[in-house]
Amino acid sequence: MAKTKNDNLQGTLALLVLQSLDRGPMHGWGITLHIQRISDEVLRVEEGSLYPALHRMEQERWIASEWRLTENNRRARFYRLTALGRKQLNAEREHWKKITSAVALVLGVRPAEV
Amino acid sequence: MAWISRLRALFGREKLAKDLEEELEFHLSMHQDANIERGMPAAEARREARLRFGRPSLWQERMGEIDLMMLPETVLQDLRYGARMLYRNAAFTIAAVLTLALGIGINVVAFTTYKAFFDRSLDARDSGKMVDIALVLHSGNTGSLFSYPDYEAYRDRLRSFSGLIAGTDELLALSDAGGSVSQRSSAGGSLAGKLGLLPSSGSNKEFAATKIVSENYFSVLGIALLRGRTFGDASELAASPAVLISENYWQRRFAGDPALLGQTIRLNGVAFTVVGITPRGFVGTGITVPDFWIPLRSEPLLHPDSHLLSDRENLCCRLFASLAPGVSIDQAQAEMTLFAGQLSTLHDPHSDWGKPATALVWPGSPFGLPLNQLSGEVKYAVLLIMLAVGMVLVIACANIASLQLARATSRQNELSMRLSLGASRRRLIRQLLTESALLGLLAGVVALLFSWALMKVLATVAAEDFFPAQYGTLIFHVNPDLEIFAYVFAISLAAGILFGLVPALESSGSAISSGLKANAGTSPARRRRLHNVFIAAQVAVALALMIAASLLIRSSIHALKADRGYDKQVVNLDLTFPEGSKYNADRKNAMVRELRTRLAAVPGVVAITHANAPVYGYRGAAVSLNGEVPSAQNKLAILSYTFVQANYFQTLGIPLLFGRNFQPQAGPPEPSVILSQSAAQQLWPGENPIGRSLRLGTEGLFHRKSELLPDGPVYQVIGVAGDTRGATFDGSDSKLVYVQLPEDRLQDYSILVRTQSDPNQVIGAIRPLISSLDPDLEVDSSTFEEMLRLAATVFLPRFAAAIASPVGLVGLLLASMGIYGTVSYIVVLRTREVGIRMALGAQKRAILGLMLQQCMRPVLAGLLAGMFLAVGASYLLRGALHGLSTVDGISFAGVSLLFLAIALFAAYVPSRRAMRVEPTVALRYE
Repeated sequence: MAKTKNDNLQGTLALLVLQSLDRGPMHGWGITLHIQRISDEVLRVEEGSLYPALHRMEQERWIASEWRLTENNRRARFYRLTALGRKQLNAEREHWKKITSAVALVLGVRPAEV
Repeated sequence: MAWISRLRALFGREKLAKDLEEELEFHLSMHQDANIERGMPAAEARREARLRFGRPSLWQERMGEIDLMMLPETVLQDLRYGARMLYRNAAFTIAAVLTLALGIGINVVAFTTYKAFFDRSLDARDSGKMVDIALVLHSGNTGSLFSYPDYEAYRDRLRSFSGLIAGTDELLALSDAGGSVSQRSSAGGSLAGKLGLLPSSGSNKEFAATKIVSENYFSVLGIALLRGRTFGDASELAASPAVLISENYWQRRFAGDPALLGQTIRLNGVAFTVVGITPRGFVGTGITVPDFWIPLRSEPLLHPDSHLLSDRENLCCRLFASLAPGVSIDQAQAEMTLFAGQLSTLHDPHSDWGKPATALVWPGSPFGLPLNQLSGEVKYAVLLIMLAVGMVLVIACANIASLQLARATSRQNELSMRLSLGASRRRLIRQLLTESALLGLLAGVVALLFSWALMKVLATVAAEDFFPAQYGTLIFHVNPDLEIFAYVFAISLAAGILFGLVPALESSGSAISSGLKANAGTSPARRRRLHNVFIAAQVAVALALMIAASLLIRSSIHALKADRGYDKQVVNLDLTFPEGSKYNADRKNAMVRELRTRLAAVPGVVAITHANAPVYGYRGAAVSLNGEVPSAQNKLAILSYTFVQANYFQTLGIPLLFGRNFQPQAGPPEPSVILSQSAAQQLWPGENPIGRSLRLGTEGLFHRKSELLPDGPVYQVIGVAGDTRGATFDGSDSKLVYVQLPEDRLQDYSILVRTQSDPNQVIGAIRPLISSLDPDLEVDSSTFEEMLRLAATVFLPRFAAAIASPVGLVGLLLASMGIYGTVSYIVVLRTREVGIRMALGAQKRAILGLMLQQCMRPVLAGLLAGMFLAVGASYLLRGALHGLSTVDGISFAGVSLLFLAIALFAAYVPSRRAMRVEPTVALRYE
């Protein structure tokens, strides 16, 4: 059961993370907060999915990480988008648009601008 | 940089874990702070954050899993995984390894043997410096034999060479050697003898292969003797001529008797003292180890009648040289060309050697021509063998490909599961690559062992069993050539890997969605098509090989059986008189007459005549009809001629069609000729030739010095005899002029004996008869049929068939294995479908029919394609196929049917398994 959940999330989560990092480097907690805030508290990212996803995306070289100090002078791992990741982001955006507009068509609703 | 992160993952596991822990700790405290900011009590905030966090150990584990899929970890891990997979599919692994090993092994052996035979260098300490020498003569022919005086001139004058050696081979009669020829060393006992590649009849003498070489032979080649010393100087020669024995022959013939050194043996009746033993396997400038080595200086002792050392026209020896330091082949060639021009003025101005020629110098090789100029027949045989073994490699590769494909189908589930677990495609491809490479490596090791063993066996057979001892010992290098191995190995590895990757390449994005749906019940159509193509390809190639082999075999049988216009059971006796003063022409003639009288009394002998056997063809003469002396310039035609006695036609069973026979002789031969039918037709088409006249001339045509020639008188045609054919098939040797043989030249011709019963019985009786007349007489006896067997036109197809049929059989074996394996997989894959059909009431026989039908379709397509290939092959082979049409029905239909039966069987065995499918079990797959 958990697996299907993850499977569905996997592609979406990557898209959300990439989109978040497009605004600038962030640490994991920042990404969680950002997604939560931007989505009006609708989307909550589970830590149990986020860190494996970040790990995997780093291995795919979509993102890179380095240790830096936050504004509060704490050591944290910051992730930033790579050129490859930007490409991936664009691709996933296109894909997402296609899917949602298709789903919208099926449901008979005008797709909202993404 | 990807490899840095991978290296970090590899060596920095602990650091990674610590980083992760710190990252999690940061996340946790940030969450806690946020909770507190929202007004939660500190303890509650911490608890809530931990709760939301889930169990870190659980997803840490998942990250490890991702690492496993994403990171290379270690190559070792990949290998370990690959080895486990190979072990788990032991049946697949064994089949694949055997197939590859067989394909690689046969190719390595064939190409190594080829290289060992044709691409070998001279057996010298510094073989890179050695060169072969020949002249491109005025006529364009390559002359690789030189006379001894020319050799001496070159040796003393040329500065490009630091040493020049000469050598020639001869079979000498061995006597006074003690002991006797061992069973194994006689022609009949050797492998070549059993295969019918040597004259089976043999002789009443023991022979020894002897290499007659210049005195500087061993020093120029830089070879030290195993024992004893080489030939001494000229003064020693006269007293007691020296002979060296090869270690191989010393062991084979004398069982390594150390007392042989210093003993005296007789070669052609001349006493020689054994002074040294050459190292084991030393072949010098040849490809076989001779039994003895004697110096060229001693040659006059063996042949008192020839004047080898002084006769500039006696082309006896091949020359080899070691290049002087700093001299290039081109320079040597230029210097020698210049000097050859001077030497040519000393030769007979009418001969080819009397005209300017160009020197040809090429890297040292035992063959008398540079490799690219080998004769057409040798090239043809080599090409055929290479083509055949190459085809086996093609079959093996197709087999591996279809095995890999079959396995890919069954691995679909495993692969899509790993994809959904987060493994990237790249990672899967790498894993499969590792697996295929591992498989290939395994096969490579087996193939190397296999080819090494095979070469060892071949080398042993070649050295000890292939030729009888009298022909010397055949030597070739035992170790498989690693360079060749690398090539062949690379090809088969590439094939294996290429198709090992297909599943990974096919499981693209779609595999995630479709892969998990347990779709093992039906195999994808595309893949099945590929399968069918591979099966068809294997069948086609193997069939073409088998048909080619069968064509060759049938052709050689046909060639032997074909009617040649004479009785093939007639026995041919060739007498060799001892040289020297014991026999002059009159004594020889008297001896031959005496022998003939005694032979006539042997039971079973019907008729005896003197003539040359019609098997190998005759010399040609120019023919003129206008009474002028014919020459090569004003000839009407060039026909073959032969001298016969009056009873020749009756003895050989050749019919006399018109006219009369020669008169049985009383005085000198009558000036008349008998023509063969086709000769008569060419000279006087549509007219009666009887009573016409012609003249024969041999000027400018090849003949030996003291040979009997038909030049001179005007001959009257008195009769026409039936056509005969020798070893050729096109009838080119059928146009014949028979001239009467004078009684005083009988000794120069063979004795032909027609026997009533088994010719071998008579042959057995003839030998002791001849020995009783004079033990020094040598006699060779064989029937015409045995002589035909050794003719190139018969020998080559037989030799080629001897190679092609085992290779074809290996191909057939591999193809059947391929069919069996593939059908097994199809049956497994379609188990569910079969289950449904049976649940719906299908009969077992119908199921079997369905399976067989499906499997046989590609086989039939392959058979059809194979026949087309075979038509192409037989077109290429047409030079060797005699008396068969290109599309020989029996070969084509017979072999195809045999193949079909074997393929049916290979498909039937696994198909039966489908019949035993329990519907309930099959449906439970859902």
